[in-house]
Amino acid sequence: MGISKQRLLAGGICLLAAPLLVFSAVQYSGAADHLDPPARTDPAVDSTPDRPADIADIYAWHTDSSVIVAVTFAGPQATTAAATYDRDVLYTVNISNASPRTTADFPIRVRFGRDTTASGDQFGVQVTGLPGVTGAIAGPVETNLSKDGVTVRAGLFDDPFFFDLQGFRETLSTGTLRFNNQRNFFAGQNLTGIVIEIPRSRIENGTSPIDIWTDTARLGGNL
Amino acid sequence: MQKQTQLAKLIYVLPITLALTTAACSDNDTGSNTPPVVVAPPPAAPPPPPPPPPATTANFDVSSCLTQTIPGTGGVTVAGAVIPDTLTLNLAAASGFPNGRRLPDPVIDVTLAIIFLDINTAPQSPLTLANVPVNPAANDVPFRSTFPYLAAPQGSPPLSGTTGTNFNFRTDAPTAYTRVDRMGMPAVSTALISSAMKNTYNDANPEDDVVGGGRFAGEITSVLTGLTNALADDLTGLGLRPCARPR
Repeated sequence: MGISKQRLLAGGICLLAAPLLVFSAVQYSGAADHLDPPARTDPAVDSTPDRPADIADIYAWHTDSSVIVAVTFAGPQATTAAATYDRDVLYTVNISNASPRTTADFPIRVRFGRDTTASGDQFGVQVTGLPGVTGAIAGPVETNLSKDGVTVRAGLFDDPFFFDLQGFRETLSTGTLRFNNQRNFFAGQNLTGIVIEIPRSRIENGTSPIDIWTDTARLGGNL
Repeated sequence: MQKQTQLAKLIYVLPITLALTTAACSDNDTGSNTPPVVVAPPPAAPPPPPPPPPATTANFDVSSCLTQTIPGTGGVTVAGAVIPDTLTLNLAAASGFPNGRRLPDPVIDVTLAIIFLDINTAPQSPLTLANVPVNPAANDVPFRSTFPYLAAPQGSPPLSGTTGTNFNFRTDAPTAYTRVDRMGMPAVSTALISSAMKNTYNDANPEDDVVGGGRFAGEITSVLTGLTNALADDLTGLGLRPCARPR
């Protein structure tokens, strides 16, 4: 991703860019949040991109019985690549179910670790702050982990986002519009993610809206 | 159909034009720490200044875009949907973007519609562009109907073992970590915040989004105005009714 994007941005673009500067200084990674903010996560802009802490997307939806949140990060990437579990990154899923909508009533913390006493790659995930769960849910990645009615799973997944970034690239390289809504840049690519399913009754609070957002932070400061 | 094709082409201009400004016009692939390109406002004008002719004569007021309500949300405005930058779930209503975000929701096409089009005058709606569709309509592989819902990784990537027990999770307090990224609504930070403000925006929290009438409201208005000034004539030419009004 990084190399190809650099190449994409490197060649033959300035001629096109000049007349379009009217658009103000917008950096756009062509995705939902992948590679944003560019100065910290985009290898085309930052020589030390923090890929593990780069949020790709957050999804949150409800059913009759559950509220489900999925956060994806460190992608997209080739299907030959392993997942990204960085113990120095703190992932937070914030849920507000009461006024003010902007303070997290349930800050859910996600941390990754490794069993260094085991042979091979043995990574684990720890999730704290889950409503109605005593202590943490912790265990191996790539495993459904359930406790007190909540289920979590961290692992490698297909990148669920779909968008014609390739048409965007071809247009940049040719200077001609070459878009195709049958073409999905994120097809055939993976990323790392965590999915959390919580009983709806743990979050529902009368008619209060539920606000959900995510953030990432790195121990020791930005790379 | 012809109109749909033209529409599809046009709308694709949006990510392109946005993206083009990302290009640092850098010809090196070394990944040096190139600062973000900042092109507007322009640097100090050369000495004998005839007022620089604007690149476009369009001058739109996007306030009617930000104040228009999104059908089906019980009166949520566009501004209210992006400020604060959170996904909001009304549990009493059907799930689906912008009431939350399900995996298959066409969030980019819907977002483009609600920020550029008058979505309350039939036949236009938040789904006007998704119905084309402008972007691929679905993921390339089906989502799972049960937990974990996301599709399994494609290919045969190496996977972590699942027998570890003694993990070295850090115990540092959250305050020991430094913010890198944040996200709520898709594409707000990527599309409606200028490069100069991106780190600041990602360091902020939803409570900052709403303080004092909206810390980033001016920024979002400014970026949306620039985009609209460039695209409104194209939207109109395709028979679409922009939400912005000429000044």
